[in-house]
Amino acid sequence: MKCKRVAVLTVMSAVCVGIQLTPRPPNVEFTSFICFLTGFLFGASFGGLLGALTMFINGFLSPWGFAGIIMPFQMVGMALIGFAGGIYRKLLGEGSSVSKALNFESACLAAFLTLVYDIITNAGYAILFNLEIIIVLIAGVWFSIIHVASNTILFGAAFCRLVKIVGSLAGENL
Amino acid sequence: MKETKRSLIIMALAWITSLFLVSLVGAYYYTEFQKEKSANTAYINMYNNLLKNYTSLLQSYTKLLNDYNSLAQSYEAEKQNLTYWLQQYEAEKQNLTSLLQQYESCIMRVNICIDYGNGTILWYNQTIVPLGCNLLQATRMVALVNSTYWPAYQASFVDAINGVWNKGAYYWMWYYWDKDSKTWKYGNCGADLYVLSDGETVRWRYEIPNYA
Repeated sequence: MKCKRVAVLTVMSAVCVGIQLTPRPPNVEFTSFICFLTGFLFGASFGGLLGALTMFINGFLSPWGFAGIIMPFQMVGMALIGFAGGIYRKLLGEGSSVSKALNFESACLAAFLTLVYDIITNAGYAILFNLEIIIVLIAGVWFSIIHVASNTILFGAAFCRLVKIVGSLAGENL
Repeated sequence: MKETKRSLIIMALAWITSLFLVSLVGAYYYTEFQKEKSANTAYINMYNNLLKNYTSLLQSYTKLLNDYNSLAQSYEAEKQNLTYWLQQYEAEKQNLTSLLQQYESCIMRVNICIDYGNGTILWYNQTIVPLGCNLLQATRMVALVNSTYWPAYQASFVDAINGVWNKGAYYWMWYYWDKDSKTWKYGNCGADLYVLSDGETVRWRYEIPNYA
């Protein structure tokens, strides 16, 4: 891996963890976006690792307190999003250029992946408190909607631009 | 993967996501509705119970109020009645006080002793007698007296008191208490000639007279 790419990856990881640990409105986060972006630019395994690492750190240092037993579920969920970034890149194919149409696709993907993340973490909560998962999902529906909506907007608005910017920093011409 | 196919899959995922979320929102509203419905039923039951209790309370209150009013009317009537009787009592009291004052001015109190000579001595203290009453009249007020009027002496002679008759050498003699010498002194006239004064003390004694 080129030094430039390592440096950018390091910066992405630092930004990801830093933003995740910054106090913010509940369920509005940039971690999934950065992980997806990392996965997209540096490969699925890097995206997945970054997601898992960020949620691991977040599990202990989150401004909302210690995550406890939900942490592994958060790690899995976020790793899945990072991993999906890499898969998405592969689906686009080599030599594909970043067009505005990707904004819409990434927004749709973000909505789906965020929902999957929420289902996974809610499953963890349901297991922890011995509840029906559907009950937990229903009870947290407004949080899920905020989460999905915020990520959809974020991906739709910023994914293409950031892919171009970060890609050029890493030496890619997208 | 072709662009169109990929886009369709991604759109399908987005559609599934939105459908899932909408279903969750629907389920959320349904559960909230059920919760509200059961709460509403509970509130209705509570309200009905409350209404029943309130109605019962109101009826009790109305009954209580009627009882109270009736009691208050009775109290007022009784109060007027008592006021009337109090006025009557006060008037009667004044009347009686006046009469008592008049009565007090017409009577006097004397102490009468009857000594049967056998150890039985009876005292009739504070005996009320008319003003100007003589000893014989006063004694008749406390005992059964048999007497004989002797025209020669213009006086009465006591023959018996309470069935104890003069017998042999024994006679009923009377004394008066001399406050100055603080001794009993023989009566020097017939009992009907001796006019008592207020607060005086006299004694009848069944004895053998000691004229010496």
